Amino acid sequence: MAQLGSGALILALILAVYGIGASLLGARRRMPELLQSAFRATYGVALLVALAVFALVMAFVRHDFRLAYVAARSSRDMPLHYVIAAFYGGQEGSLLYWAMVASVLGALALYLHRNSDRLLLPYMNATLLSILTFLLLVLTVVASPFRLLPVTPPDGAGLNPLLRDPGMMAHPPLLLAGYASFSVPFAFGMAALITGRLGSDWLRAIRRWALLSWAILGMGLLVGAWWAYHVLGWGGYWGWDPVENLALLPWLTSTAFLHSIIVQERRGMLKVWNLALLLATFALSIYGTFIVRSGILSSVHSFATSDIGHWFLVYLSLVLVVGIGLLVYRLPGLQSERRIESVTSREAGFLFNNLLLTGIAFAVFWGTNFVLFSELFWETRISVGPPFYNRVVGPLLLVLLLLMAIGPLLSWRRTELPILLRNLRWPVAGAVAVAVIGLLFFERAWAAFAFAVAIAATLVTVQEFWRGIAARRRMARENPLVAAWRLVERNNRRYGGYLVHFAVFLIAFGVIASNAFQIERQFVLRPGERGTIGAYTVVYRGLDDRRTADAEVVSAIVDVYRGDRFAGTVESHRYFYRNYEDQPTARMGIMLVGMDDVYVVLDRWQDDGTASLRVYINPLVIWIWIGAAVFLLGTVTLFWPQPVPVAVRVPRTLPGAAKEA
Amino acid sequence: MSSAVATTGPTGRVRVDVRLLGIALVIAAAVGYLMYTGLQGSAASYFVTVSELQARASEVDGRRVRVGGDVVPGSIVHGGPGEPIHFRISDGTMELEVVYAGVLPDIFADGRHVIVEGLYRVGQPVQADSVLTQCPSRFEATPQASG
Repeated sequence: MAQLGSGALILALILAVYGIGASLLGARRRMPELLQSAFRATYGVALLVALAVFALVMAFVRHDFRLAYVAARSSRDMPLHYVIAAFYGGQEGSLLYWAMVASVLGALALYLHRNSDRLLLPYMNATLLSILTFLLLVLTVVASPFRLLPVTPPDGAGLNPLLRDPGMMAHPPLLLAGYASFSVPFAFGMAALITGRLGSDWLRAIRRWALLSWAILGMGLLVGAWWAYHVLGWGGYWGWDPVENLALLPWLTSTAFLHSIIVQERRGMLKVWNLALLLATFALSIYGTFIVRSGILSSVHSFATSDIGHWFLVYLSLVLVVGIGLLVYRLPGLQSERRIESVTSREAGFLFNNLLLTGIAFAVFWGTNFVLFSELFWETRISVGPPFYNRVVGPLLLVLLLLMAIGPLLSWRRTELPILLRNLRWPVAGAVAVAVIGLLFFERAWAAFAFAVAIAATLVTVQEFWRGIAARRRMARENPLVAAWRLVERNNRRYGGYLVHFAVFLIAFGVIASNAFQIERQFVLRPGERGTIGAYTVVYRGLDDRRTADAEVVSAIVDVYRGDRFAGTVESHRYFYRNYEDQPTARMGIMLVGMDDVYVVLDRWQDDGTASLRVYINPLVIWIWIGAAVFLLGTVTLFWPQPVPVAVRVPRTLPGAAKEA
Repeated sequence: MSSAVATTGPTGRVRVDVRLLGIALVIAAAVGYLMYTGLQGSAASYFVTVSELQARASEVDGRRVRVGGDVVPGSIVHGGPGEPIHFRISDGTMELEVVYAGVLPDIFADGRHVIVEGLYRVGQPVQADSVLTQCPSRFEATPQASG
């Protein structure tokens, strides 16, 4: 298996290099046969990388501990699904997985666009293959997952217990797939820059691919939050961990991108900006992939952990130099076709949304890398923690929510102020009501204000749906359900976007409530004793000790009462995995009572059963997970096949595109 | 190019551009201001090694520090449930006392590399409010526990 895998990778590398040459030469000399062969090379690379992945997975399944990578990350007693998941649980495997996602999606994109974007494809292909060449080079030269051990151990070390969780099976592959899949829109963007075909056709080609990457990355972040909440045991879901921050960055810039390409499609503006966002998103994806591997940010011993970091740093600089160079070279062809005519226009709204999103991204980037910057400029390493992000990003997110309340009501070119105000009537009334009630009953004024903004944005979005449905009912005499269905189906981009906005509001309510009203208490209890926290009473019943195939599990059993009413029993576990006995891994006991999460952490215990329990009451956190489901629904809606396939071909006959060709 | 759509006169357009620029500058200034104030106070801490901390003790006295080091084997003193934990960390040459009252991270153990964060006063143990072990997102299996 090892020979098969490493052989496939070497072949793929050779094929990728050939494909770059064939693409460029074929496009320049106009040789369709050569181009055809270059595209086939990409399909071949995708197949070979998939073959290497298959070889690695098979090595895991067969417990082939001759491979250093397999021996270090799996053991015979691990359940099969974790054995398979272990394949992306380490550096080499996750890079291989990255290469697989990029090559398979890239090949798929080539195939799907083979008839529609002929002039872009050779350069798109060459860009894609250059990314893969870099990865395959790293995979064959410095970080081969197929390296053999001199002596075959009888059993492997097993996977780090923190990674043995359903959330962890989904979180890393989603993040990595999100990072990797940005290669496809990036390759299209580069192709547009190289060919100078800078009209809207390249945008149409990549919107869905950018959307796909953005959706995958977004789900990855949400699953990561879910995992942190259930496993890490500090009562929260987002700790501003550097690695999570870095995954948030390309998501923020691609969110901005997905909004601002609408402006380019509709109004022919922001062309440079869009390409810059695309470049930034891809560069941040590479940066995110690289920094996780380098250990620069989480460790004081900078630049010593892994030699792979240098490769990525060099590659990242190369991407930036080439990307920015091309962008500057093409500046004359990227003039806006129109100007923004009014501050209260939809295009201006999108512009502000973009500035806010990139501002947030910049602040998070700065904070995450401040250790490096401060050392560079002041020769003192200063690190910033969650309070920094909360203070900086919190207010900006609130302004963004406010913009989400106004943006959908703005018209293109110019909005009539009286109409805007009339449309804002009910949302503002709702917001004022919530703010007043909040100020009367909440201890924290900012929470009342934040809820008010979120309510206004929600009401505006509800109103948009309601008006659309009402119009359909009048015009087509449909019943409300049919009208709602058709409305979303016919205008999936608009209403899918609103569904994603709903998801954001749900998450916002959860985040605001859990930040403002979380209660935390530490109890030291003997079996049978009770403690109160907020409106809840917890009764500690005792410890339970059992054995599973690969671990020993200690559980604290706790009854939860709300007031006097028994709400249920919750168990908080600590797992002691074989080979990792000194690293007990927690599974929190979380129970949903009404809209509050009662979150129980088993901290420490003594032989007589006395245990130290940390209990949190987290209101509305469940809304965040519901928001995740709505986010998924919204993205599926955005992907819904559009009924007019002709739209793909129309732009080529438009004067704008013809002029640049 | 600019003649494509022009419903307002040139002066009107300039006014719009100035307003847009103004709002953009306000957003940029807000981001800058928030970042500047965010770095004051408790959000920022000095990231030092144990030796650096001892060398610059007077300068860092009374401020938040973030110190990386390995847990000295045998130095962990667990109190009973609910009591703080005492341990020492070392960078190979110097050692530093730490007191921590929160829930320990899962990977905490003798010899593990940790980053503690909290208030530092000369001559006293660091009052840590956070103890981080190496980030689990890095995937790497920790050194073999059973040896």
